[in-house]
Amino acid sequence: MLKIEHVRKSYDNFSLDCSMEVKPGCVTGLIGKNGAGKSTTFKAILGLIHIEGGNVTILGKDINEFSAKDRQEVGVVLSDSGFSGYLTVRDVIPVLANLYGTFEKEFFLKQAERFGLPMNKKIMEFSTGMKAKLKVLAAISHKAKLLILDEPTVGLDVVARDELLDLLREFMEGEEGRAILISSHISGDLESLCDDIYMVHEGKIILHEDTDVLLGQYGVIKVNNSQYASLDKQYLLRRIKESFGYRCLTNQKQYYLENYPQIVVENGTVDEVITMMVRGE
Amino acid sequence: MKGLLIKDLRLMAAQKKFFLSLVLVTVLLVIMAQDASFIICYMSFIGAQFSLSTISYDEFDNGNAFLFSLPITRKGYVVEKYGFGLLMGGGCWLFSMLAAMVGGEIRKLVPANDTLMVAILILPIMLLVVAVMLPFQLKFGGEKGRIAIFVIVGVVAAAIFVGLKMEEALGINFNGFLSGLQELGFGALVTVLAVAAIVVLLISGRVSMVILEKKEF
Repeated sequence: MLKIEHVRKSYDNFSLDCSMEVKPGCVTGLIGKNGAGKSTTFKAILGLIHIEGGNVTILGKDINEFSAKDRQEVGVVLSDSGFSGYLTVRDVIPVLANLYGTFEKEFFLKQAERFGLPMNKKIMEFSTGMKAKLKVLAAISHKAKLLILDEPTVGLDVVARDELLDLLREFMEGEEGRAILISSHISGDLESLCDDIYMVHEGKIILHEDTDVLLGQYGVIKVNNSQYASLDKQYLLRRIKESFGYRCLTNQKQYYLENYPQIVVENGTVDEVITMMVRGE
Repeated sequence: MKGLLIKDLRLMAAQKKFFLSLVLVTVLLVIMAQDASFIICYMSFIGAQFSLSTISYDEFDNGNAFLFSLPITRKGYVVEKYGFGLLMGGGCWLFSMLAAMVGGEIRKLVPANDTLMVAILILPIMLLVVAVMLPFQLKFGGEKGRIAIFVIVGVVAAAIFVGLKMEEALGINFNGFLSGLQELGFGALVTVLAVAAIVVLLISGRVSMVILEKKEF
């Protein structure tokens, strides 16, 4: 569905060199702290910036050959950009209907009502949550094959976020072979939705793992100095010096649980893994 | 393309009060002004300006990033902006011309035929204005675009001034050229202006496409 290979882009204090793949039928997450390269990666995928090297292949086509018609098969949400704030939802409907041959007006109207989006209010007067809902709704209302969602749940309360994630799950169940690339700073969203997760840091992918593996096999070990000294370190990915000794990240939690019953091994979470991968040595 | 046009028309429709005030100004000018050409000039240029306004609206709040992730191309965007400028400028030109013709006849000030001739002369000038302003707006955006246009107008004015001063020194007979134009007759003058406007418009469109291709959002 989507493949990027060594996509490079440099700015004054930042340089991106990123490779990743989104497979059909999969929801792939991209995580990383602010400024890590998530939005730059999305912009490169969408052809919004000129890349300095590498390839972007989207729905089997090179991004440079990806036509306006091809773009009809992609739904996009960008965190810092959307429809003009001077338009209303009622204005947006005919625009979408004329841009996308497969626009589902009835579905759009039904969901807009479900989310309580006012038809005649200017988008600039919407709350952050309402803007987020409108963006996602526009992205899933034209039978897209691939969704590219940069922080789609930003600004939403817990209930609205859950509703939106349900909408994305329904989208995945709709037609076979659909796929989503999603970034979010809320790790819970990704844990519950994604099949696999890429972690980007300082413009580079530092981890790619299936979510099941990440949650099932990754763990955080907390040991004092003497326990650390006797610990088998071959399955340790990162360590951080703490006041009590060391906090270590492993991708073989079971190994340490079985062989070191006296040490504390906590289940891995996306948040823990990010922190350890970024801050650890 | 159609989707973009609808977007721009909806953006303009959001400015109903401005449109109403324009119609009111036109009617007032038709009733009160002595010179019909001013009404047509004023309205045509205001109409053509709408295309520049929609570019500012598109840029507002980083809207271009999302806009260019929709099923459009950069080339299509440029074509739509020129089309929209000509549509709105042309629409306002037609409306103001008809209003001026009717007003001129009713007030027995200017015969409709004369108004029509003035309007036909203004049309290619309006096209030239669109052709000059759109690339600046696309390159520099709202605020900077306006400053850039002022600078260019200043430079052109200065160049003409210097040119006229050097006229004799270089042996160019500028007045002769202008007299030649006057002797062309109305039909030929309009044809020359129209051809010049279309050529400049095509060059401007090409320049705008290059500008937009290089842009990052």
